[in-house]
Amino acid sequence: MLDIRIAEIGTFVIYLTDVALLLLLVGLKTIHRSRMRDHDRRRQEYLGVLSRHVSYQDCTDPITPRMAGDSAFLDALIDVREVLSGYELANLEAIVAEHGVSAGLVRRLASPFPLGRRLRAAVALAEIGDKTTAPAMIHHLSDREPDVRVECARGLARLKWTAAIDDIVARFAIEEAPVRARFADSLVGFGSKATWPLLAYARVNHRAEDAGPALALRTIGRIRDLAAADSIHQILEEGPSLEVTIASVEALGVIASPYSVEKVEPLLHDDRWQVRAKSASALGQISEPSSVPWLSAALRDVNFWVRRNAASALAQVPTGIEALYDALEDADPYAADAAAEALADAGELVAARRRVSAGSSGDEPLLAHMESEA
Amino acid sequence: MVLDVMAWVGYATIFYFVAMQMYLLGLTVVSGFVLRRNHHLRRFNRGTAMLSSTNAPPVSIVIPAYNEEAGIVDAIRSMSIVKYPRFEIIVTNDGSSDGTLDALIEAFRLEKVRIPYRPDLDSEPIRAIYRGRSGVDITVIDKANGGRADALNAGINAARYPYVFCTDADVVLAPDCLVHAMRRIVDDRERTVGVGGNVRPLNGSRIEMGHLISASVPTGLVPRMQVLEYVRTFLASRPAWSQLNALPLVSGAFGIWRRSTVVDVGGFARGHMGEDLDLTMRVHRFLRDRGDEYRIVYEPSAVIWTEVPNTLRVLRRQRIRWHRGLMTAISDFKGMTFNPRYGRLGMVTWGGFFLFEYLAPIIEFIGWVVVPTAWLLGALSTQALVSMLVLAFGAGLANSLTALLLDESYGYFNSPVDTSRLVAMALLENFGPRQMTVMWRIRALLGGSATRSWGNMERRGVANLAKPTGTAGTG
Repeated sequence: MLDIRIAEIGTFVIYLTDVALLLLLVGLKTIHRSRMRDHDRRRQEYLGVLSRHVSYQDCTDPITPRMAGDSAFLDALIDVREVLSGYELANLEAIVAEHGVSAGLVRRLASPFPLGRRLRAAVALAEIGDKTTAPAMIHHLSDREPDVRVECARGLARLKWTAAIDDIVARFAIEEAPVRARFADSLVGFGSKATWPLLAYARVNHRAEDAGPALALRTIGRIRDLAAADSIHQILEEGPSLEVTIASVEALGVIASPYSVEKVEPLLHDDRWQVRAKSASALGQISEPSSVPWLSAALRDVNFWVRRNAASALAQVPTGIEALYDALEDADPYAADAAAEALADAGELVAARRRVSAGSSGDEPLLAHMESEA
Repeated sequence: MVLDVMAWVGYATIFYFVAMQMYLLGLTVVSGFVLRRNHHLRRFNRGTAMLSSTNAPPVSIVIPAYNEEAGIVDAIRSMSIVKYPRFEIIVTNDGSSDGTLDALIEAFRLEKVRIPYRPDLDSEPIRAIYRGRSGVDITVIDKANGGRADALNAGINAARYPYVFCTDADVVLAPDCLVHAMRRIVDDRERTVGVGGNVRPLNGSRIEMGHLISASVPTGLVPRMQVLEYVRTFLASRPAWSQLNALPLVSGAFGIWRRSTVVDVGGFARGHMGEDLDLTMRVHRFLRDRGDEYRIVYEPSAVIWTEVPNTLRVLRRQRIRWHRGLMTAISDFKGMTFNPRYGRLGMVTWGGFFLFEYLAPIIEFIGWVVVPTAWLLGALSTQALVSMLVLAFGAGLANSLTALLLDESYGYFNSPVDTSRLVAMALLENFGPRQMTVMWRIRALLGGSATRSWGNMERRGVANLAKPTGTAGTG
């Protein structure tokens, strides 16, 4: 009897759950569709109002407090903000200030609202770019929600609010990897202003940890600040860990200072193949003809990836093509194949075929190599 | 005495079924939180900032192709315009007997080359390597037939970049799928070794020039059933597993791996019926045994559309193959099942796989036989029987409806027609399809040569999916 009673209760609960879920599904779909339609309609309407306001200062179309607090208005504002400059942008900023849009968003950010609304406020603040909100965004760099912190860093970078750089870099040591990576994206937005705080962080911390300083160095590379090259050379001289060495070499490759060549070339003899492979790539990015003998020697490296990267690098260096043709005769088939691949990628294969079809009688070693059996 | 035993077996199967639904419900709740957060982030399109970044690691897209003449060129064209700063496409022609290779040579102006090919992973002999001259960075490896895993290994051997995106030739990529997936790697480059994506059935949707124009639920019952299954799998379970860092399966249709890790574990297992499951578990075991801190994650925003079987015959073959793959994996990784040394992977997901995937068809089959028999013999009252059936069907329905609610945030199947088709399928699948799937899995358990063959998936080709069946090419 008891079993039957339990089964009956279970059946009833499941039946009820199913009906509730079904109603919820249909209800949600209906509400969602209707809300989206309504949102789009209002957004179009607000786009018109905002366009008229930014074009004509004397525009009399009303912007009511209810409109200013509407999410569709915020979307329209962000859309319009993207395409404006000059006096029109100034007009838009005046509208934002006059109607307290930013202040409302800052209040929302500080509220105990769930993630969705707070994140939306953070994104809107980042997009609107109102300087008066910078202190609030700096404050929320330590928000409890990682995504809100990320958006605040992005907003500060869009504002080029350089006073925030130290606060963002300081969080490199605290944050989990995904947030740190997004902070790095924001720091790139500050340009060379972020170089020195990042370098200082990398130099101080590279002995204690790998991931943070390595990311800092890669970020410096993305900023492409030539002035940073010398400091990165110094980090390399301190014999950092594998990860930091690779990140340093990667940064030097992207920065592509000719002064880095003499620092990177000896790394082609490093004990660690990853460092040798990365150094070969970096020398290709720097593209100094003086690297050709080093890269040619690297074509005979014991590691396949070093040989392959060296061949690609030679194809990037102006005088490297000849060395690649020489390598086609190499006894090591991988070195010869890597050279052939790099030559083909550099357009030499197409050129050779054209020469042959144009009736050239000269030897085409690349064609001969490609047609030979592996 | 016999009647009592039958009644208790009946109750035990119901208890098992309720436990399974509770497990799935738990996963669904965790997935709900993950997807909710993901919805906010996706809405503001945060990943695309990476498109202009030198920070984006280059990716090799590896595509095994066996008799894919019907759709390979369109599939490659759709892949070649995916939004990502730097990638190459490597197609492995796995000894096709149709015109797959010729179609590729013609479409992409391929020419035979001799370039570095490092056999880090075992594969059948390579016949030739081709490179494209059409503006698409494509390399074609022509090799003797060896199966999907073998072809993937050959493609990985030829990959130039540190990450390999293993996929299929019958898929359409969402343009931003690579950005979303690789964002997870860029976010945690040191630890992330694998990323799985959200696979969705393509049948019934409108495709033009290799692009998905509009997604809709197919009218046919067989593909429609799979739409519901894919929604349940990819939205109700995987986000939760990923959140627990215990994802046991990176789908074969969308799996991005760190190349060096795949080489370390010996690549895809040749001849394995579930090579994607096997690789994921081997990577877990290898890295956990080595004491590495790592992550294999699932990214629901990275969407890929794939052609699913249109007929019961092909679906049956596919399901038998999948279950055979699962059986082999359960046996290969039995040391990880409920082993606390493997953390949440061993205790929650792989343990769950054993209990609710591997054992499910056996217990469900016993239930379908014993419960009606017990009722016929009078060991169970009609009231108890009806309660049990409602409980079983109702819990399954609740599970499907919850998954559909999670799908709401993606908005692919939002029209009233699509919603009603999926709800109808959620109701219908308990009366036939579910029992049929159980039978196929029992068939896989019984073994025999018929269950060991891959068979041919009859492909219409990406470009032909929108056309009536009569015009379809077959692979």
